[in-house]
Amino acid sequence: MGVVARHELLASRRNRAPQLLVGMFVGMVAVSSFIGWLTQTTVSGIYGQVLADGLTTQPNPFVDVVPLFFARNTVIYVVMIGTLMAAALGVQSALRDRKATVADLVLTRPVPVRALLAGRMIGLGALLAVVIAVSSVISWVSISVITGSALGVDGSLRLAAFGLLTWLLLLGFAALGVLGGLYVTRETSALLAPFVTWAVIAFVLPQLGTAARPVSLLNPVASVPQTSGVFHAVSYVTVPLSITEHFKTTSSAILEGSSGGFPLASLAAVAAFTAVLVVAVVVTSPSRLSGEAGE
Amino acid sequence: MTSFAISTHGLTHRYGTKVALKPLNLDVATGEIFGLLGHNGAGKTTTVSLLTTLLRPTGGTATVAGHDIVADARGARSKIGYLPENVQFYDDLTLAENLRFFAKLSGIPKPDARIAEVLGFLDFEGHDHERVGAFSKGMRQRVGIAQAILHRPPVLFLDEPTSGLDPEGVRTLRQSVVRLNAEWGTTIFMNTHLLAEVTRTCTSIGIVRQGELVHHDSLAATLGEYPTEQALESAYFDTAGSAA
Repeated sequence: MGVVARHELLASRRNRAPQLLVGMFVGMVAVSSFIGWLTQTTVSGIYGQVLADGLTTQPNPFVDVVPLFFARNTVIYVVMIGTLMAAALGVQSALRDRKATVADLVLTRPVPVRALLAGRMIGLGALLAVVIAVSSVISWVSISVITGSALGVDGSLRLAAFGLLTWLLLLGFAALGVLGGLYVTRETSALLAPFVTWAVIAFVLPQLGTAARPVSLLNPVASVPQTSGVFHAVSYVTVPLSITEHFKTTSSAILEGSSGGFPLASLAAVAAFTAVLVVAVVVTSPSRLSGEAGE
Repeated sequence: MTSFAISTHGLTHRYGTKVALKPLNLDVATGEIFGLLGHNGAGKTTTVSLLTTLLRPTGGTATVAGHDIVADARGARSKIGYLPENVQFYDDLTLAENLRFFAKLSGIPKPDARIAEVLGFLDFEGHDHERVGAFSKGMRQRVGIAQAILHRPPVLFLDEPTSGLDPEGVRTLRQSVVRLNAEWGTTIFMNTHLLAEVTRTCTSIGIVRQGELVHHDSLAATLGEYPTEQALESAYFDTAGSAA
């Protein structure tokens, strides 16, 4: 497994996938921090003006904002861009062997196929871990610069926990990409299949869940809890599968705290999603790695 | 008593309802260079894919270097080297990086000395740090041989090894095959549709037609029966049938 994992890292590095991912994540973190800083500056400026004009006696809304508020936009970028990139990385990894006849060479070596596939997932996991670690450091520095003081122990631990959660989600999407690369014959379809699944998870299922609670669209009117009927039935199916929504809920609790307790069910949903997909990769039949070699 | 490097009994493979290989009974003695001749689609690659454990037989049994290809597939894999037709590698990696990966998969923990030895054997030194993506077809084929023999397998399978090579590449590959057999004692199973390739390299010959082995004898006996090139060619076409 270690041989395959190290090979995965080397091969990915050579086609510049990690460099692209690091660049993208650093960009996302920087944009998130910039938007946070701009929001703070703008709101504080307006607040100062309003206060000077004697139009308010309320405190500055940014006084009590936790430092990790400035990382909140990263959550959306991870869902919108990071997951797609992870899926593309997975597809690329699976197709690398299939596009050439390398799979046939690998499969005639005395190594169990499951060890090969597990090694591939470990390699992808390590690659994503490096990317997320680098972007977490950049995020820590950015937040410290914006707030004017180094992020404390609690904030640093929360940022690390968010990085871990992000790694878990992205590993799931990387596994989804690997499955696309293994099970779909054509390269374009292999890319398309995980992207369609991503779109369903990120958009369609949450939309169905929202549509199933139409009152929730009429902010600030709180949605009425439903315990029966069509809306309830649709929610019952779609909510557990809305993995990106669970990621957002868990991220929010990690970064900014949660008044209603930590959303363990959401964390479990993300973990289960990744576990199922990684296991699905590892138990893939050898014939999917190369296709049957007919004449 | 003759020991067989490869032995099959009723080895069969079907793709759905299509029979790709009819029950094959074949023994290849240790130290032979066996050439399996046949037109495209005759069942040569299917045979090699079965013997290299890439395909699972739908019937019959086979052993390679004494290991059953189904019951002890890992044991069989540890004793074989394989060069597929049109072999490709990780183009972004260097020759040394590619070979190091395959060596480690073959259980060679510190492969650099072995890689140097094999590249020396193949007269292919000085390219270690070049990316394989820039290699010519002939160079790739030599890399293919190198990865196949890194672990000094007793049995080597070559699928159409001279396909697409220029005359110089064909000659180099032929010399490598003969030297491997003579100096390392490697048993070689070679698929080809080129009659001249078999007569210049092999010690025994088989002809497969529409999934069925229709001729198997030593090269000497075959040439005794058909002493001229024309007679042998006529016999081959009579036996192998017309190309599809």
